[in-house]
Amino acid sequence: MTGRRSGALAEAFKLGAFFRRDLLVRLSYRGAIVSDWINLFAQALVFSFVSKLVHPIHINGGGRTSYIAFVTVGIAVAGFMAVGLARLVSAIQQEQSLGTLESLMVTPTTASVVLLGSVIYDLIYVPFRTVIFLIIVSLVFNVSFAASGYIPALLILATFIPFVWGLGSIASAGVLTFRRGSGAIGFLAFALTFTSGAYFPLALFPSWVAPLASINPIGIAITGMRAQLIGGAGWHEALVTIAKLVPLSGITLLLGLYAFRLAMRRERRLGTLGLY
Amino acid sequence: MTDSPSGGANPLSAVLDARDVSRSFGDKQVLSGVDLEVGAGRISALLGPNGAGKTTFLRILTGLLLAEGGHVTVAGIDVGQNPMAARRHIGFFPSADRTFYNRISGLENLAFFGRMYGIGRQEALARARKRLVDVGLSDAVEQRVGLYSHGMQKRLSMARALLMDPPVLVIDEATDGLDPEGARRVQDLTRSIAAEGTAVVWTTQRLDEIRGFADAVTVLDQGRTTFQGTVEDLMLKSSARGYLLRLRTADATLDDDALAQAAAALGDRGKLARVGADREHFRLDLADHAVLGEVLADLSTTGVVVLDCAQQRSELEESFLRLTTART
Repeated sequence: MTGRRSGALAEAFKLGAFFRRDLLVRLSYRGAIVSDWINLFAQALVFSFVSKLVHPIHINGGGRTSYIAFVTVGIAVAGFMAVGLARLVSAIQQEQSLGTLESLMVTPTTASVVLLGSVIYDLIYVPFRTVIFLIIVSLVFNVSFAASGYIPALLILATFIPFVWGLGSIASAGVLTFRRGSGAIGFLAFALTFTSGAYFPLALFPSWVAPLASINPIGIAITGMRAQLIGGAGWHEALVTIAKLVPLSGITLLLGLYAFRLAMRRERRLGTLGLY
Repeated sequence: MTDSPSGGANPLSAVLDARDVSRSFGDKQVLSGVDLEVGAGRISALLGPNGAGKTTFLRILTGLLLAEGGHVTVAGIDVGQNPMAARRHIGFFPSADRTFYNRISGLENLAFFGRMYGIGRQEALARARKRLVDVGLSDAVEQRVGLYSHGMQKRLSMARALLMDPPVLVIDEATDGLDPEGARRVQDLTRSIAAEGTAVVWTTQRLDEIRGFADAVTVLDQGRTTFQGTVEDLMLKSSARGYLLRLRTADATLDDDALAQAAAALGDRGKLARVGADREHFRLDLADHAVLGEVLADLSTTGVVVLDCAQQRSELEESFLRLTTART
């Protein structure tokens, strides 16, 4: 058994193997990749027509922002959240139903690396998909985003990733324990997204939604990214947004990893890891 | 060298040592005080009917499941205390059919699992290629696993279990569903691996495959050890007193009178009864004190010609049933 790396470095190197595995698996489903992008653009197209019905005066920014610009950022972040969450949950579910989870767990690999490894491809691909979506929509629908806002917006998105990962880990732990629950997770994701102001200005919602959105990480991320991409708000506002997101993301991630570890421990104790 | 079937190396050093292992699920006690010791280069067969606790025991050996009592060490490492370190020394062949990623090739699958042991991609690929050749899958290296036959997936499982040259190999029903040639190939490979010093735990439902293959046998029934010893010792447990005879007279099949005459010649040494409708096949159940040769000779004196005589069950099967079903 030569050539082994040791400790945390060895565990980190395993993530590359997970990424390659999932890249090869995804490339074997080319139709699914194409249909994902078609769906995304169909959604943008629908909102571009809706945009013609919505006067900019209703949009935050006092009439300077078009609805398509407003909603594109919402679609990008909400899509990031939905796809990321769905894939986080389905990754472990798939490993379990394929029978590969047990095969993985008899290797000297920690539960945390199995969890992270199972979603590492999506953690890289989904932000990439979001950025590409924003760029293409800005070109196709003539939506102008502030160039100075790209980097701060990306940083906000990066700060938002651990929140999605943490929420996904909690959901994975639930699915691992109860074998079902993706419907409840979908509803939670919808509730969080809907009340975040992703698709409509918060001013159109009942007054109690706005305070909720101000502590909803999706709402914080969307508002922050809009401020950067549409308003060119600058670094100070970006850092304020990031400062709000960091603790929420950190706590959610820690909770998620803890919940997943507990779920794995329970499965080992009961001997039901391979049962689906 | 020893005279073990596997021709294995020093059997005195127990690479796998399970002591007093117990486990329950809710109110049901699945394992009670099971011991197993396997030395380097030895093949230890684990037998038992469905629900005997074999798979639970294997899951405890591999650290997939925690034991409630007792302990397991692999290469001196306590599996319960330090499962990560112990897993480095165990190759596991699961009984389940689907334990691979179907959309990627056999080579990529093995390389992936190899990397889970902390080795680099190049080394993982080299090991994977070698093991794919060893198990006879060199023509299917780049083929998607989803296109593999059942037998090919079994061989791929074996390749994965051997990938890191583990000192302990835990094999759960490797020959289940394989044709005789496929089963023989897996057994030959296991034997050669054991000869290189690997300790092997081999579970199976095919009793006859352990003869001339396993060095030791453990029979589990209802979570308890009902036998531990060599294959020969197990065969000695057999009562094997049932025989299938093919009988005729010199020029015809046995009519009822001839059968009554033959049965009378047996006296209290056994019972003879017709089997089926062809009037040639009979079942002979011998009493414990009867000697088969004498009984057959006495049948001949009544004008019966014994065309064939076969044991209804093998000694192994008979022993197994005595050690298990009698308790259930």
